[in-house]
Amino acid sequence: MNTGQYISGIGHVGLIAWLLLGNVFDPAPEPFEVTEVAVISPEEYERIVGAQQPPSPVTEAPQPPQPEAEPEPQPEQPRPPTPPERPQPEPAPETPPQDDSPDVSKVQPPEPAEVTDEPPQIAPPPQEEVVDAPKEADRPQPRPSQRVAPEPVAPPPPETKPDDVVREEVRKDAAGDVKKDESEATAPEEAAKEIVTEAQEPPARAPVTSLRPKTRPPVPEKVAEKPAEKPAAKPETKPAAKPEEKPAAPSDDMRSAIEKAVADAAAGASSPADTADAPAGPPLTAGEKDSLRVAVQKCWNTGSLSSDALRTTVVVEVRLSEDGKPDAGSIRMTSSSGGSADSARQAFEAARRAIIRCGASGFKLPKDKYAQWRDIEMTFNPEKMRIK
Amino acid sequence: MMKQVLTLLSAILFLVSPGLIQAAPLRIEITEGVIEPLPYAVPDFVPENAAAAQVARDIARVVAEDLTGTGLFREIPASAHISKVTSFSSPVQFADWKAINAQALITGAVSLQSGGRLVVKFRVYDVFAGQELGNGLQFAGTQDGWRRMAHKVADAVYSRITGEGGYFDSRVVYVAEAGAKDDRKKRIAIMDYDGANVQYLTDSTSIVLAPRFSPTGDRILYTSYETGFPRIYVLDVASVGRRMLQDQPGTMSFAPRFSPDGRTVVYSLTQDGNTDLYTMDVASGRSQRLTSAPSIETAPSYSPDGSRIVFESDRSGTQQLYIMSASGGEPTRISFGQGRYGTPVWSPRGDLVAFTKQHKGRFHIGVMRTDGSEERLLTASFLDEGPSWAPNGRVIMFTRETQGAAGTASLYTVDITGRNLKRVKTMGGASDPAWSPLQD
Amino acid sequence: MKILTRAILLTSALALAACSSPDRFRGDEVNLGGAGGSGSASDPTSPLYFQETVGDRVLFAVDQSNLSYEAQSTLDGQAQWLMANADYNAIIEGHADEQGTREYNLALGARRANAVQEYLVQQGVAASRLKVVSYGKERPIEICSQEACYAKNRRAVTVISADYNS
Repeated sequence: MNTGQYISGIGHVGLIAWLLLGNVFDPAPEPFEVTEVAVISPEEYERIVGAQQPPSPVTEAPQPPQPEAEPEPQPEQPRPPTPPERPQPEPAPETPPQDDSPDVSKVQPPEPAEVTDEPPQIAPPPQEEVVDAPKEADRPQPRPSQRVAPEPVAPPPPETKPDDVVREEVRKDAAGDVKKDESEATAPEEAAKEIVTEAQEPPARAPVTSLRPKTRPPVPEKVAEKPAEKPAAKPETKPAAKPEEKPAAPSDDMRSAIEKAVADAAAGASSPADTADAPAGPPLTAGEKDSLRVAVQKCWNTGSLSSDALRTTVVVEVRLSEDGKPDAGSIRMTSSSGGSADSARQAFEAARRAIIRCGASGFKLPKDKYAQWRDIEMTFNPEKMRIK
Repeated sequence: MMKQVLTLLSAILFLVSPGLIQAAPLRIEITEGVIEPLPYAVPDFVPENAAAAQVARDIARVVAEDLTGTGLFREIPASAHISKVTSFSSPVQFADWKAINAQALITGAVSLQSGGRLVVKFRVYDVFAGQELGNGLQFAGTQDGWRRMAHKVADAVYSRITGEGGYFDSRVVYVAEAGAKDDRKKRIAIMDYDGANVQYLTDSTSIVLAPRFSPTGDRILYTSYETGFPRIYVLDVASVGRRMLQDQPGTMSFAPRFSPDGRTVVYSLTQDGNTDLYTMDVASGRSQRLTSAPSIETAPSYSPDGSRIVFESDRSGTQQLYIMSASGGEPTRISFGQGRYGTPVWSPRGDLVAFTKQHKGRFHIGVMRTDGSEERLLTASFLDEGPSWAPNGRVIMFTRETQGAAGTASLYTVDITGRNLKRVKTMGGASDPAWSPLQD
Repeated sequence: MKILTRAILLTSALALAACSSPDRFRGDEVNLGGAGGSGSASDPTSPLYFQETVGDRVLFAVDQSNLSYEAQSTLDGQAQWLMANADYNAIIEGHADEQGTREYNLALGARRANAVQEYLVQQGVAASRLKVVSYGKERPIEICSQEACYAKNRRAVTVISADYNS
């Protein structure tokens, strides 16, 4: 009882003291640093936010004249002055609309000393990977490669680092006079057959085997492209005859008939007998087609495509020169399926890069069959690339 | 008549054709490619006046960090460049960039005008096609907003090349941690997605947990023990003013999240030891009970259209994921794998749910489709939890805590394919990240 | 001097308990410093006696909130003490080990605290004298990442506070 009163008495006194002292020491609800740091006035914020949108596009900043992508680099010369016939575009900022462009603003309120743009580097390097090393490992085991390719490539021996600049590309690209000095072999960049997430990581090291994936079984060449066999005479008669033979067909309007005639004529025209200037030769063998396919695959990088673009199949046409090099200007998308116009554009751009890059030194194709491969229609179907 | 025309036409074509018309083209189908970072070059932006020299370099560096940080791009270092870009408007020497295998090239120019006004413009080129991708863009702002302008440039580049929305001009709210494991001090902090520009929004006198952005990024919900009991607060980012959402004695409330329209908050409320889901109208404070089971129902997250809620419940005996209508009703279980599933978060695109999974003493961040199919585990560690989606739905940020007495928490990001696991630079410990929407 | 120290300790304990000002509540002080006890351990009416002799905490199995036989006998002692010392109230704090997600652990800690509360009420303690709160995994007392530590962290702690409602 006495104890209780003592406790109570001391408690109350203490409590009052505490409250008083506590209030002395306790700052206002918002800690000092915060109010200092975080606040920008509502009006200011309003203005900023309001002002930010539309980041004024460079008003149709005129495209500077660009040298056509040519195999011959001209690095030694000073840059050719802009051809006189193409007016040098005024740099964008002079155009009045941009001056009106509202402030993107001080988005960040004035920063206090405490905060630096680059926080002091406490963190390990940004590419830090696995935190818990597999216990069995007797030596450090790298994560499986982040690069995914149809053919897995084992990690290179530690001494030969994959080069930052892929030298093989340089060689491929070289139309002769690019630097010759990188004769040192660079290891092919390590690649896994599929993305291995941290969660799936096997205790042992990444795919070590570099078994080749099965190449497609050589399908007996189905020459769907009705070309060579047709007797030369046929085209002359056929187009005319056809509409008559199928009088019931309601679809035979002028347009389709003409198209058919054009197609047939074209087919006929390309038959070896008639094509004097381009050797046609027999159709490509399955193996020849396959090696072309593999060659393009190597450069078809879907890694930076959106998931929508990865659902989009594009059909791309390209014309090759006789040395097997693609004519960049001839590459066009003839159709796409499965995605929006935007995703088709991304998918097409990736396909175009693949053709140009891997064709830079010419696809290896039999010269005597040029007519067979001068025009190529490539279908890029990313179905298998979606989640690897 | 028609027949004659056609005959004539085909005859003409036939005669003329050898040089012009080809056989039906050779057809091949490409189904296998490579997945690797796209090599690109971003030379220092051109300073258009002397004052802009430093910031022009800095901006190009931030753009490069953003792009390379995605794992989808690989920068070709300046030391390998053959061409120098000395003027924004002079022609690009594509051959020089091809020679070093730069598949994309970003050029830009910066001017710093009187009054600290900063103008940044840039172009993106597809080097091998010898073409510009889209049109050049320009941003103007004040000098101290230069990092945001750099992020905006990187967002535009990212989106032109990948076709996906960017996420660099975004912020992250999280819990900054300090102190030993048994005496941890926590405060709410906000930073740029890359760890720059940190500001603290609360002090560390009370435990604070799991901050979440409003759909417009101007408000933050979080849980604090300020009253001695967990309560939900809403904080205005601009003014740092905050208020308690609800104070119902004898209960605890936590795990709040905004609806996509920002008007409703869904959260957990615990009464008599039982945790259920509720919603509250933010303006009126009126709440509505969504579940009433004796099990734990928590960690709710809205679908982007606001019609449904994904949450975790142990009604089956272990923690599993369920989806129900946003107004309550019978939930459908979506997780069926082995282990326990928690903290589901609906992706901004609506197609996936990210979650934390515990299995055999390990923690994982994973994703599955909203019907529970195609479960994919992206990480594995002693303790990973609390995924949050980047505004474009392509990247997930989460908390990783290390083991043992000296264990600390940090933030990590990972691509939804499981690639590119990276630590986010923060000062000190950090947990419970929540990604803002893209800023305007 | 000893008395002064004790008085200060007591003062803070009381302030914590009695003060309705929210900012006063600091979980770590209650849990960790041992400051929650006051009075003499040999005085059966002191909170310190409750903490040290009666036993202020019960432990739980992984992901469970049911009370073991051992836990029940501890709680029997707590109930008796509380009924004998009607001047005091109690806050029951539920905790979880670190092996779980944050939200779930909050809910799990609440279950544990509630199990204790219900048991004490069954034993005759007035429900109005008991409050519950869960800290989930936010306030471990042991910090290793092994079962030895986890076992001690899966707990419900009855923290005595003086009743100054009158």
